[in-house]
Amino acid sequence: MNNKHIKTVVGVAGLAAAMMISPLFAAGHEAAVAGKAPSTNVAWTAEQVRFVAQGDKTRGAQLSESLFCASCHGNAGVAPSSNWPSLAGQRAEYVFKMLKDYKDGKRKGSHAAEIMTAEGQLVTDQDMADLAQFYASFPLPSLPEGVTFDTAMGEQITYLVRRGDGKRLLAPCQSCHVSNGEGQATDTPALAGQTPEYFIKTMQDYKTGARSNDVYSRMRLIAKVLTDEEIVQLAHYYAGMTAK
Amino acid sequence: MSTIHIDPLEKRWLWAIGGMLAIFWGVQIYFAAAENMHPPSNVETIDSAKLHLSGEFAEENLGVKKEADGSYTVTMVAARYGFYPQEIEVPANTPVKLRIASFDVLHGVHVPFSNMNTMVVPGYVSEVHTQFQTPGSFPMICNEYCGLGHDYMYSKLHVTAGKS
Repeated sequence: MNNKHIKTVVGVAGLAAAMMISPLFAAGHEAAVAGKAPSTNVAWTAEQVRFVAQGDKTRGAQLSESLFCASCHGNAGVAPSSNWPSLAGQRAEYVFKMLKDYKDGKRKGSHAAEIMTAEGQLVTDQDMADLAQFYASFPLPSLPEGVTFDTAMGEQITYLVRRGDGKRLLAPCQSCHVSNGEGQATDTPALAGQTPEYFIKTMQDYKTGARSNDVYSRMRLIAKVLTDEEIVQLAHYYAGMTAK
Repeated sequence: MSTIHIDPLEKRWLWAIGGMLAIFWGVQIYFAAAENMHPPSNVETIDSAKLHLSGEFAEENLGVKKEADGSYTVTMVAARYGFYPQEIEVPANTPVKLRIASFDVLHGVHVPFSNMNTMVVPGYVSEVHTQFQTPGSFPMICNEYCGLGHDYMYSKLHVTAGKS
């Protein structure tokens, strides 16, 4: 049995185990992170940035196969189902941080997060950097042909994205996620082409606090003051954006 | 050899200005060298990238604390694009010590109608001592260009009436 086969067996077993025991994992982590723990263990020191940058995308491709990442995130990082996030073109630092946060039980609050927390136990930091570089090597997903989204609040949403809302202490979305939605250094994620269902779910998780791996609550504070309608419209705005 | 005509009055002023410069430089050099004085007044280094992991600027340690002597200590983080915690409340006419550190790049913090104004340099802790005179709600504004969202970077400071 060569190395690849071993990885495959481990991957299958891991995924199966993850789905079965994930509720147990969740319970354990709840206790572990309650109280005085930081929202993430990742700190973007120069060494950490360099570590992610040296990730090997070829090895990442092999890992993504043996860990069956594609079953949810698609072959080229474009999710086949809108319940899962597309990772194509995502910033490597962001993917790295998420994998690390899942592994450490910092990102939780959903069944999907439980699966990823269990998956995280199978990978090393080097594997995470490799996977991050693999997904970063694809272009951002563009809107499938023939698909359009409701943009009823088009003007208001564009205003929110570009100008924010001072009364609600809302900085414009594009001041961090930039005008073409491709994200920004270090770990501000790309939003362009993301599936709207996943976008909405993420924002709602921030809003309720189910997701809390944003340092200093920066995204939770934003999500809390957005209306449900605005979140839906923002999801459509970014899903329909073809990043340059 | 031609000489430039300089009016005697002008000449006296040149000497006076030269003398002033010499005095000011002398004072600065003396205090910098002998008294180790230099701006900013509070030199205290910190690793900005690791602010959130532990210690004074960890998430759960931010906010307003009342000290035993009745003064207040406010611990905040400046991060693109806001000051955290986003809203703080302190009483008027009470000594307040603000300690603030940057999570990323150079920021500034300025509260209008007060003398609260300091740079927040990554890698350093900025400390300001002040008393807010006027009750009311004020914005805390970033006054050092820090990126695309700089002009949207503010949070709220509520000054409550009287001592509490």
